[in-house]
Amino acid sequence: MQDLWQNLVKQFTATFITEQRYMLFLNGLKTTLTITFCAALLGIVLGFLIAYCRTTYERTLRRGPLLKFLNFLCNVYLTVIRGTPTMIQVLIMYFVIFGSVKIDKVPVAVLAFGMNSGAYVAEIFRGGIMSIDYGQMEAARSLGLNYTQATWRVILPQTIKNVFPSLGNELIVLLKETSISGYIALQDLTKAGDIVRSRTYSAFFPYISVAAIYLVLVLILEKILGNIEGRLAASDR
Amino acid sequence: MKKFVALMLGLTMALSLAACGGSASSSAAASSEAASSEAAGKQTIFSLDDMADKTVGVQLGTTGDIYMSDAVGNADDLNIAGVEEYNKAADAVQALLSGKIDAVCIDDQVAKNFVAANPDSLVVLDTPYATEDYAACVAKGNDQLTEAMNAAIAELKNNGTLDAILDKYINKTEGAVGYVTPEGTEYPNGELTMATNATFEPYEYIQNGEVIGLDVDFAKAICDQMGYKLHVEDMEFDAIIPAVQSGKADFGMAGMTVTPERAESINFTDSYCTGVQSIIVLK
Repeated sequence: MQDLWQNLVKQFTATFITEQRYMLFLNGLKTTLTITFCAALLGIVLGFLIAYCRTTYERTLRRGPLLKFLNFLCNVYLTVIRGTPTMIQVLIMYFVIFGSVKIDKVPVAVLAFGMNSGAYVAEIFRGGIMSIDYGQMEAARSLGLNYTQATWRVILPQTIKNVFPSLGNELIVLLKETSISGYIALQDLTKAGDIVRSRTYSAFFPYISVAAIYLVLVLILEKILGNIEGRLAASDR
Repeated sequence: MKKFVALMLGLTMALSLAACGGSASSSAAASSEAASSEAAGKQTIFSLDDMADKTVGVQLGTTGDIYMSDAVGNADDLNIAGVEEYNKAADAVQALLSGKIDAVCIDDQVAKNFVAANPDSLVVLDTPYATEDYAACVAKGNDQLTEAMNAAIAELKNNGTLDAILDKYINKTEGAVGYVTPEGTEYPNGELTMATNATFEPYEYIQNGEVIGLDVDFAKAICDQMGYKLHVEDMEFDAIIPAVQSGKADFGMAGMTVTPERAESINFTDSYCTGVQSIIVLK
């Protein structure tokens, strides 16, 4: 029993204290959070634009050539991004698109993950917009609002409430997905665990700690998202 | 109004997509330009003294990684600015070729292969960084296997088998065949699993879908000698020691240097060849 305890203390020291390895974890955590939140913002903006384009296309009877072209572009984007693995997208972004530039890796990862997330967020938003009964739009139009006013004042506020749980889900998925950014030698939280394992030759402590940190992050996110959801639902009855 | 909004959104989308596409094509063009201009003689590092404040790429968990990590901001050492740890040596060299880092620290035989593949843009520094011994690793407590392997290694050194393998992979002697399992070899003792990282030409690499190389040939010779069939398992370099420790593999062979830190968690067999850490830079 005492041996086991001593062994645990020794491993803990080797994982966190020796050579100030806790700094690796802290810096990794900072990188992971930066990438996640910047990519989430980019994804939401991109996803919203795409969803707006696509629903406008679907709800317009006389479609102009520009609208058709845009809808086509959005479809291609969705197909390509959703049809290829995120990891390959990150590698292409770093080694091909930014292949010859000496560039900080965090923006590269933000762009790659943001564009990836945008495709999924677009479908979440589109589903949210389409789920609002068309009668709402007709009612708003018959009260004298034009299409844009009706969309922004009547449809979108209801959409946000509907899509919020799925958006939160996407944020959690994104947080965990950033763990592959170690492949472009970016020192995120997972890579910190990898580096410590390669120094201590023991997998248990580094990986369990990294897993625990991710879990705590997700728990905090869930709590925050739950609170906001509760606020949004306050006027429901 | 509806059309106007759609138009605006459309323009934004088109612009952003065009920007992405544009940057992709322009950077592709730039990369070939950069490659050719670098080939035109932009070498900035000529000796170890020029390494100060440079960023060095390494493969995670290799001795190059350990040396370079110690040298960051260390005025008594190379005093480099930072280390970037890639999962594969080839990724580090790729990053060097595109100018993302200034140098790569890696075992000399492997370095030679990378330079041979990019003779116009890469060069190995004349000054080697460190000399080291390569050995196979076996789980602590499995002394029986360590001793049996040591006996086999001694035998293979004596009868010239090791030299024949070195001739093929290191000296690249014309017509050298390396090691071929003699006909009629029997495997009464079952199978041994070897953990390796097949991205390390000429020690171990993948050719025609098969892991081959100096270490693989030598491991085959050792196993034949001991009466085991060899099974090769390819994994990340920094996963080899944990795999051997936990018994997922019986031994590890991957151009692995004997270091005191590693020896604390694993047993090493007798060394079978020496390697040199060298530094690749842009020409």
